[in-house]
Amino acid sequence: MLRFFGFRLLRAAITIVMVVTFAFVVLRLSGDPALLIMSVDAPPEAVAAFRTAWGLDEPLWVQYFKYFSAIFEGDLGRSMRDGRPALTLVLERVPATLALTIPALLIKLCIGIPAGITAALHRNSLLDRLVMALAVAGFTIPSFVLGLLLVLLFAVQLGWLPSGGQESWRHAILPVITLGVGGAAVLARFTRSAMLEVLGQPYIRTASAKGVPWRAVVWGHALPNAAIPTVTIVGFMVGSLIAGAVVVESVFSWPGVGRLLVVAVANRDLAVVQCILLLVAATMVTSNLVVDLLYGALDPRLRSGLASAPKGAAA
Amino acid sequence: MRRRQFAVLPALALAAPAIAQSDQRPELRVAVQKISNSNTLETPREQSNVGFRLSTLFVEGLIGTGWTTDMRAVPELATAWRRVDDRTVEFDLRADVRMHDGRVMTAEDAAFSIGGARLYGSATPPEVVATARRTFPGFERMEIPREGVLRFVNRIPDVTLEGRLAQNVGVVVSQAAFEAAENWLAWARRPVGTGPYRVAEYRPDSSLTFEAHDAYWGGRPPARRVRVVEVPEVSSRVNALFSGEVDFITDMPPDQIPIIERNPRFEVLGSPINNIRILAFDAGHAVLRNPLVRRALTHAIDRRAIVDSLWAGRTEMPRGLQLPFFGDMYVADWESPRFDVAEARRLLREASYRGEPIPYRCLNNYYTGQTATAQVLVEMWRAAGLNVQLQMMENFSQISEPGPTRAIRDWSVTHTFGDPVGSLVRAMGPRGELQNQREWTNEEFNRLSATLESSTDRAERRAAHARMLTIIEREDPGYMVLHTAATFIGKRRDIRWRASQGWPLDFRASNLSFGA
Repeated sequence: MLRFFGFRLLRAAITIVMVVTFAFVVLRLSGDPALLIMSVDAPPEAVAAFRTAWGLDEPLWVQYFKYFSAIFEGDLGRSMRDGRPALTLVLERVPATLALTIPALLIKLCIGIPAGITAALHRNSLLDRLVMALAVAGFTIPSFVLGLLLVLLFAVQLGWLPSGGQESWRHAILPVITLGVGGAAVLARFTRSAMLEVLGQPYIRTASAKGVPWRAVVWGHALPNAAIPTVTIVGFMVGSLIAGAVVVESVFSWPGVGRLLVVAVANRDLAVVQCILLLVAATMVTSNLVVDLLYGALDPRLRSGLASAPKGAAA
Repeated sequence: MRRRQFAVLPALALAAPAIAQSDQRPELRVAVQKISNSNTLETPREQSNVGFRLSTLFVEGLIGTGWTTDMRAVPELATAWRRVDDRTVEFDLRADVRMHDGRVMTAEDAAFSIGGARLYGSATPPEVVATARRTFPGFERMEIPREGVLRFVNRIPDVTLEGRLAQNVGVVVSQAAFEAAENWLAWARRPVGTGPYRVAEYRPDSSLTFEAHDAYWGGRPPARRVRVVEVPEVSSRVNALFSGEVDFITDMPPDQIPIIERNPRFEVLGSPINNIRILAFDAGHAVLRNPLVRRALTHAIDRRAIVDSLWAGRTEMPRGLQLPFFGDMYVADWESPRFDVAEARRLLREASYRGEPIPYRCLNNYYTGQTATAQVLVEMWRAAGLNVQLQMMENFSQISEPGPTRAIRDWSVTHTFGDPVGSLVRAMGPRGELQNQREWTNEEFNRLSATLESSTDRAERRAAHARMLTIIEREDPGYMVLHTAATFIGKRRDIRWRASQGWPLDFRASNLSFGA
């Protein structure tokens, strides 16, 4: 078990280092932060002074070495836009993003999974086709299109809800729906597929043949077995809680981590981008670990396989 | 003076709640694409189009600009100014100007703002110091010869001192507030000036709230509060206007104008501004090394067609890189190279051009209508026999990156004050961006730049300016002018307001009123 976790942690650390290194190189080679942050209207002398002040005139490898050395001392750097610690800037935005992504996740779970189960249990019925048609529509409409359509209807035409901003809970409704609809559609499709696969298994037929009530068959045998692929998708959704609303935050002018990421990338504000990437990678890695553990809880065969596996097999 | 201030403050404090209770003025809500690039509001740090837009709401200089009239210099915190000699300008300061912290503006505040620690202090970021030095390259000292009078003294003769002081770098702020600020960033996010509105709350990348500065010398502001929100998407800004959440939206591309004006409750205002869209040439590029090819590029473009089709005729074709507010420095009979495909083809034949590719670096709509304009340009050049290849870039750093693929790039030049030194010399002169980037240089042009900067002989300066335009726009092109930039603002029709001829939004009582 320790070896299992140790390997995953090592893999996670290597992933994070690679992500950070890739981002460092790409961002530095694709734009000069001094020119981007100071704007093209700034005098060349000011741009040069900025470059010197932030060490941007040093060789790339020196900048990289300094950046990594600082990380090991717990310093994730400072924003070149205003000099504040990058971590502070990012953490300030996390609650705003979670205020959208957590309710959206609940919508995904509360609508997507029941819809997928219902569709599977009524396969080829009108209900199934209706659910799947909505799921395909929800899955294929880009979030920025859906967001703008919702704004046109509920903000411009009906005047019921605000079109953007973050001044009250009412401002969160449309972005949460926009985020939730697409995810619910994905979950509905996956849940339906998983359920259909499980419902065709011999043990489902056996349980039914033994006279087990259909409700008990579904709850006791079908759902737990169909949960594994669904949990995987939900794991990805949980992992993207921090930075999964980039487009929606822009459409609805919601000042969360996604907006910060867009602005930071556009300005090549390296420390802020790296800090967000670290946070996202850490969330994703943690989520994957939890999913791995849930696999074991959901399927006893995986638990016993993990315990009796020869060395290295668990990896 | 100090006793009088103390006497006034308690009276103001007593009056404030009463004013607040009876304040029926509306709140003005404005959606902009961006509030600040640098996440600060300090003008020498935020030298950008978006920064220029808002700075006039909260800070002012000694000399202002008639943004809604003729763009000429107008009295602002100085009621009058005069030349003492070629190096010195003397200002009569406006009396009883109250700053946002309740203090009365003094000559010391003004001297500190232009020549003190605000721009040159040890805790001031180096880029701010560099901007100040660039704006006032010959600055020697500030003098206060007597109460209410201030002198700006330059090391060398400079006829453009007044223009330099009209820029928003040298705005007047409260010295006491600056010194009381926790640190430079805290100051830069809440500068204390004299403008019609004071900064109440700034949430970077999100919103900026101003409150009316009721003691404003130019009259009580008509809005109780101005709330600026950042809405990066054009369609989201339009939706916010239509849904009634905001009263003004900025940065409207021309194709949105008919959509907004279809609704009788809204209108779009805006006009050409003090910024000219140009294309810069890299004379070091293998093909553009020959000036005949560059000249052919300038003749192959039908500017009128671009202005009429992509701008719905709502901008202008300037007479070169200059604007009428230059006054006697404006070369009124100057013509940009005419649209003449036959002449372009003749020049290409003379240059023995064989269709070698010419890269053209473009950003995706940083400038209004940029991508569509670039596509039209490429087709116009193709019609004249020029093989120009469009290269979409992500940012200005990539646009400017030296190398064999840099030939033509998109650019714009702002006329920072009414003299060619504020644009032609600033952008194209020996220390300007074009030459700093090693894209183009010309010995005679550089000599004339020095003349423009140092000569006090108006006739000599006028002749130098005309000759410089001839060199850089006709004989040895360093750029070609496309059109005057324009900015469009969507607004509620029932709010009376005039758009300026620059970026600034003017929400003073003289330019804004509510109701029918």
